[in-house]
Amino acid sequence: MNEQSAYLSEKLDAILAGAGSLLPELVLALFFLLLVTLDLFKAKSIKKLLPWLALTGLFWVLVLQVLGGYTSGDEPFLNLLLSDGLARFGGILFSAAGIFTILMALQLKRLEKLKEGRGEFYALVLVLVLGLNLMAKSVNLLMVFLAIETVSIASYILTLTFKQEKRAVEAGLKYVLYGALSAGVMLYGMSFFYGLTGTLNYTSEGFALGLLQADALLVTVAATLILAGFFFKISAAPFHFWAPDVYQGAPMPVVALFSTGPKIAGILVILRFISNFTDAGSFADVQLLLGVAAIATLVIGNFTALWQRTPRRLLAYSSVSHAGFLLTALLAFGTAYTSGVLFYLSVLLFMNFGIFLLLQVAEEKYGVQTLEEFSGLGRLQPYFGVMAILYLLSLTGLPPLAGFMGKLLIFSNVWEAYTLSGNTMLLALLVAGILLTGVALFYYIKIPFYLFFKRNQSQENLVISPSEKLLLALFALPLLVFFFKPDLLLRWIEQLLAQTL
Amino acid sequence: MDFILSSLIFTPLLAALVVLLLPVHLQKPIKAVTLLGALVQMGLSILLYFRFDGSAFANGQQGYQFVEKLNWIGFSLGNLGRFQIDYFVGVDGVSISMVLLTGIVGVIGVISSWSITKNVKGYFLLYLLLLTSVMGCFLALDFFLFYLFFEFMLLPMYFLIGIWGGPKREYASIKFFIYTLVGSLFILLVMIGLYTSVIDPQATAVQMGLLEQGKAASAEVLTQVQQMLQRNQVSNYNLVRTFSIPAMMEPANFIPNSLLHVLSGTILWDLPLRFIAFLLLFAGFAIKVPSVPVHTWLPDAHVEAPTPISVLLAAILLKVGGYGLIRIVYPIFPDAGTYFSILVGGLGVLSIIYGAMNALAMKDLKKLIAYSSVSHMGFVLLGLASLTNEGLNGAIYMMFSHGIISAMLFLVVGVIYDRAHDRMIHNFRGLASEMPAYTSFVVIAFFASLGMPGFSGFISELLVLVGGFGAPEATGLLPRWLTIVAVFGLLLSAAYYLWALQRMFFGKFWIFPELREHAVITDLNTREYLMLVPLAVLALLFGIFPHLLLDKISLTVNGFTEMVLLRGQEQLGLIFSTLK
Repeated sequence: MNEQSAYLSEKLDAILAGAGSLLPELVLALFFLLLVTLDLFKAKSIKKLLPWLALTGLFWVLVLQVLGGYTSGDEPFLNLLLSDGLARFGGILFSAAGIFTILMALQLKRLEKLKEGRGEFYALVLVLVLGLNLMAKSVNLLMVFLAIETVSIASYILTLTFKQEKRAVEAGLKYVLYGALSAGVMLYGMSFFYGLTGTLNYTSEGFALGLLQADALLVTVAATLILAGFFFKISAAPFHFWAPDVYQGAPMPVVALFSTGPKIAGILVILRFISNFTDAGSFADVQLLLGVAAIATLVIGNFTALWQRTPRRLLAYSSVSHAGFLLTALLAFGTAYTSGVLFYLSVLLFMNFGIFLLLQVAEEKYGVQTLEEFSGLGRLQPYFGVMAILYLLSLTGLPPLAGFMGKLLIFSNVWEAYTLSGNTMLLALLVAGILLTGVALFYYIKIPFYLFFKRNQSQENLVISPSEKLLLALFALPLLVFFFKPDLLLRWIEQLLAQTL
Repeated sequence: MDFILSSLIFTPLLAALVVLLLPVHLQKPIKAVTLLGALVQMGLSILLYFRFDGSAFANGQQGYQFVEKLNWIGFSLGNLGRFQIDYFVGVDGVSISMVLLTGIVGVIGVISSWSITKNVKGYFLLYLLLLTSVMGCFLALDFFLFYLFFEFMLLPMYFLIGIWGGPKREYASIKFFIYTLVGSLFILLVMIGLYTSVIDPQATAVQMGLLEQGKAASAEVLTQVQQMLQRNQVSNYNLVRTFSIPAMMEPANFIPNSLLHVLSGTILWDLPLRFIAFLLLFAGFAIKVPSVPVHTWLPDAHVEAPTPISVLLAAILLKVGGYGLIRIVYPIFPDAGTYFSILVGGLGVLSIIYGAMNALAMKDLKKLIAYSSVSHMGFVLLGLASLTNEGLNGAIYMMFSHGIISAMLFLVVGVIYDRAHDRMIHNFRGLASEMPAYTSFVVIAFFASLGMPGFSGFISELLVLVGGFGAPEATGLLPRWLTIVAVFGLLLSAAYYLWALQRMFFGKFWIFPELREHAVITDLNTREYLMLVPLAVLALLFGIFPHLLLDKISLTVNGFTEMVLLRGQEQLGLIFSTLK
């Protein structure tokens, strides 16, 4: 009895001591509860307040994470959650993604008019961001699972925001099915790792030591299984099948969030996970495994995008191909690839929100559903057209936009890794990655092609609201700045990575 | 340091900003601002031409003059040292001719664009962006900066063809874009390989503490750094990787063990990696040149582009390909350059003959001229491959002279198209009797292009052929029969020009009945004289006084061929020694 209470009080002390490091998550949880409670009231004035409340919460968290200094040491909280520089940078991106999502949602008139579930929408965005933060911080496989599931469940419901629409229901159902499957497979893989190493702390030395002693084949199988779950989150092949349907059916702000938040968090988890395999020569299997997946993702994403007729599906496959690039970046073992990856993730955040906001404007204002319906819009609305070119070129990876810098950093790291190791697979990745950029241009350029080269039939000359114009410029500005001065961001990333909070 | 080169690059950009701020309906001011921007750029380029000292390797930087070098992006790569991108521009004998050409043709293009009525603001905005990026391309000495301008050129061109072009403009613009982008991706691949392999000795010396920040290094310090590098005595942390093209030209700056080092011994598909890098770069620039068999985008782009854009495309943009080969490919990979000279020269001759035969078969006057461009650009490749002083002087002279003459040719086609809305050769006969002044300019342009003595085209072809014939003795690179075949190109070009002249301009006046109701056949107007007369004068001027240009370029060329040949043989020996 006495022993147990001593254990309990010890635990309690640890929780209290470490709780400081979870300040951002606590704030998010608090605002979530606040939102859910306030949503119970029927008064219109309160309903109006909800998005702004959610924004306040997210902004607070963003500032917290930018300023840093909220933690107690570099010990992981209960051996579960580590608040290091990597997690902090991730957290900054997640809060930003949350803020962007809500700003985008405020432009979406259909959401404003929604009778049911409008309050929940904002609350769920908060939960999703919370889950993403936990994903980035997890150093324990079980915690990873819990965090991923938190994100997934929030995602399923967000997909169904407009549940009276048939497409949304289809998307939601597919999402749940694929999600459940990959979660099961991932859990299975985790149990393998526990059996092999006797620990779930996948960044600890014990884990790496256990892997060294384990049978290489078994480790490869387990890694394959666990990666299935991660690949689902970043929509890498062959776990990308949900992406086109969800991108087609979900509300646009949510799609933008899906294409950035979970992808960033998933990459961070993989980043932590594969650091177990970067040094040991005997685990080259995992590099090969990831390499094959990366090439497959790049090829499938880029070539399937070629045949798409709707902008949403096109961007879904483009998002798949970006997952391929990120996997490529992670394979440059032996180089300082982390900052390159984080740079690309930051750029991805801005370009994806930009292009999806653009698409939302096109859909809501001009009823654009297929690529053909973009015809002539660029001439009608030069501002819209120029912004479209900017984002699409950045997505393709052409200068003078940050997407090019991101790709340049990734490719240089891969080249460097190839120089160090002489692994031909890396060269194949490099060549595939660069040549597929040519393919990517072919489908991205379709949109400016319709925007400027085709005549519009009889569209009303509707005006884009100033707030939308402002947001579009806001997302575009970093793309230019990070091309001309990438060192600004890279230095900051280095600083964050160097310090544990 | 004076900022003449930066002013050259950014004057059109400044004008573009002004145009951007002007309201759409103010068409006259928009045109005026564009013209002003182009005129200032031309003025500066002429000023630069006169100030450029062709007889001196001034200012230290290996013969580059008016050098501007500023730190742009610098970033630490942790245990892999730093990487450095500079805003690094300079001019030497190769670029001075291209800068002058760009300045002149830029103004001609604006005058030719005066009749544009559709979406004027957008058109001139893109036009000015194009001028900036082309000028930047010719002046950049940092590979990254070059690549930035090189890629950025695509975009304005894509829209200029795609929006203001002819009936099949969409197809042509996409074909142009994809072709050139694929080429530039090859270049990107090699660029990444190069910059991860090459260090900047000066910055590395600073990093190692051998030199104070901001001081110019003496030759001894640089040599010391290079020797330490080759002996693996520089720690990774101190390496400063660079995109600087002059640094890439020095084999001593390559990091040992890097894949593109001469002694790396890396083999891929039975070829040393340096050879593959050369072939990729060559492919990338050959698309731009364009050389057979990757020339097929050019006829489409030319036929669909509006006249002023055809002029720019033929006169300036194509030159970027040849310029890239001379500025980047050969100096960085002299070994592969000499090894593959038969390939480069062979493709050049193939382009000459194949382009000319195609031109002979064309029914569309503009397509004929487009294929004649392919044929003439073949001479650039042949001259370069010979690696003789005459050949290379000829190649550069050809780029300049073709710039002037092809601008004229496309303007001439534009004239008839403006009047008859058609340019099929078989739809016209006896135009000479109705348009005598026009016909005389056509004759001048055709004769200048087919290499009539007295025009600049003659000088360049002569120099290339002399170089080609001299190559077996001087450099041992090209077989003599190759140049003999090339001579037949001259014959063919005379044939297609004279035949076109005969069919369209001589005989009794006749035009195709269906064209008659819309066609207004009048002779040249003032604006057209304004464009054609200066070009004709320039073609004559540089044909009669070739030293005007050769004085500026020949010293650089001598240094270039000497270096490429010497290093090429030496490095080939080293590469093959590692393979045994």
